[in-house]
Parts: sequence; structure tokens; C-alpha cells
Amino acid sequence: MTTLGGKKMFIRQLRAGVALGLLLMAGIASAQQLSNQQLLSSLSQISKAAPVIDPALLMQEANANVGKGVSGQPNWSQLANLSQLLVEIDFENDSIAIEPKSYRTVGLIADALHHPNLMFYKFLVVGHTSSTGDAKHNLKLSQERADAITEALATTFAIPRNRLYSVGVGQEMPVDPANPKAADNRRVQLINLGRMK
Amino acid sequence: MNRLYLLGTAIVVASLSSTAIGRADTMSYADAVTALAKDCGSDIKKVCKGLNLGNNRIQDCLQKNQAKVSSTCTSTLGQVTTSIQQRQAAQTGFFKICAHDAAQYCGGMKGEGNILACLLKSKRVDNGKCNQAITDAGWR
Repeated sequence: MTTLGGKKMFIRQLRAGVALGLLLMAGIASAQQLSNQQLLSSLSQISKAAPVIDPALLMQEANANVGKGVSGQPNWSQLANLSQLLVEIDFENDSIAIEPKSYRTVGLIADALHHPNLMFYKFLVVGHTSSTGDAKHNLKLSQERADAITEALATTFAIPRNRLYSVGVGQEMPVDPANPKAADNRRVQLINLGRMK
Repeated sequence: MNRLYLLGTAIVVASLSSTAIGRADTMSYADAVTALAKDCGSDIKKVCKGLNLGNNRIQDCLQKNQAKVSSTCTSTLGQVTTSIQQRQAAQTGFFKICAHDAAQYCGGMKGEGNILACLLKSKRVDNGKCNQAITDAGWR
């Protein structure tokens, strides 16, 4: 069965404007402990040229391409141009329950999202799985897990719900396409969608 | 004589305020739930399996099953809940408490992050309530 999280908590910082090539390199960058400062600095780099992303269209593209991948889809291919970072959040096996050891990661995200630098920005949580297991099930589970993360942020940590979006993409956008079953592919993307209107 | 007295007072006030800098009187959300995971993690996995952090589910479950839960966890749960509420109140309070200082020292500045950065740099904010509000909000 697949889980979104791996054994350890890693952070790979992705700056606004990185191309897919950089994204792949980030996968082999040295792992580091997540800190509030890293979260703030990587999520605050707002590019004026940042595309406008509609989470509903991402969801449509993911649902229409189960088992086929979404990297080439118009909306998914735009995501790399937004300010973001990758985190690992562990879940119980085949469940939407976040493991207690990953509570800290969710708390760190809450600290960053409440900071004045980011407090009026919208965020998208994208859940990814590896290709272990059934593609359709992976898609459904990743959506439910992304929902669980935004729910915790919106309730336990009081981030206004209208700032939060969640999309699951299952195994359709591996960070390591050559090894789709690798644990590295299980990850959570936290993406800055821009300032609230 | 008067001048010396004033200088002495200024030094006392300055050293008092410098001890407060960098020390938050409330805990970050990350530290709060880290304490929860540390003291309640095994109880959560035992009696709240499959339940999530959101919507008070973990809190409700631990309270309902208090008889099966360690006393350390029960007391940590109370502290964590209070701590999260205090931090939320401090962060909300910042804007009200610092509104005057922001207008006075950082007038015309746009963006909440820029205003905070300006207040942090402004020496004249150092001894006031706004200074404490920034510390309590965890924004140093």
C-alpha cells in the first residue's frame, strides 16, 4: 500500500520560476530539517509573472489522466512556476490519519501561513503517491490526504478556509519519473497561489 | 543629578527589554503539536487509530478515552490546547496593539510583512506594548 510520507522528514526548497530540470535536481539535494525560516523564505518568493492556477482544473486533469501522467497537462505543467516547497507528511497505512510524528510539519506550515509575510496568500496542498498499488486508488487516497492536511490547517490551526485548496494527483506526477515506485515520489507540495483578491 | 538618575533608569529599562527580545511568551504551533506528538503519540496510535488532527478529533478522542490515556498526555493535551489559543490571540492582537506604532513609524508602508519588518527595525518600538505583542505572536 502507498503512503504519502517516507521514513524521514525532508525539505527540498523550490524557488519560484524553477524549471522541471531543477525540480529533479532538488530530489537529490541534501536533505535538511524543516525550519520556520526556510518555509517563510521559500514560500515568499513571489514572481510577478506567476501564472494563475485553478485547483478545479488541476483536479479535472488528474481525473482524466489516471495511469497516464499529468506532467504534460496545461495546468499541471504551470505549477513549477509558482513559489513552493516539498514536505513529507506521514500517514497511517491506507488511511487519512496523519502520523503524530508529522504533526510538527503541519504545525510549521501553520506558523508560516499565519506570518504577516504570507497571511493574505492562498495555498494549494498537492498530495502525491508512488506508483505502488492501483492508480485510481492512489488518486483517491492522495486527494483525501491532501484534504486532511488542509482540514487540520483550517480547524486546529485556524487558517481561514478560503485561503486553502487541496488536490490529490496520485502517482501521476512522479518527482523521479525513472523510478515511479521510489519512496521519494510520496510527497506533499505546498504551493503559494498568490494574494487573496 | 537628575540627568544621572534618568540615565540609570534608561539603562535598567534597556536591559529589561533586551531580555525579552527573542523570547516568545507563547509557543509556536509547531512546538505545541510536537509536544502533543511526544507525550500523546503512543496513546493516539493506541486509542485514536485512523483519526485525524483536524476538527478536534484527536482532542475529543483523548478526552473520551482519558481512563486509557497516560496522565502525562492528558496534562500535555490541556497545555497544548491553551498554548495554541494563546498564540492565536497574540497574533490577532498584534494588529490592534501595533496599529498606532505602525502609523507613527512605518506610515505609508504597504504590506503586512513590510510593516512588521519596519516595526522590528524601529528602535522607538522597543519598550512599548507593540514590542511585546510582536514577541508574543512569535514574529521575531
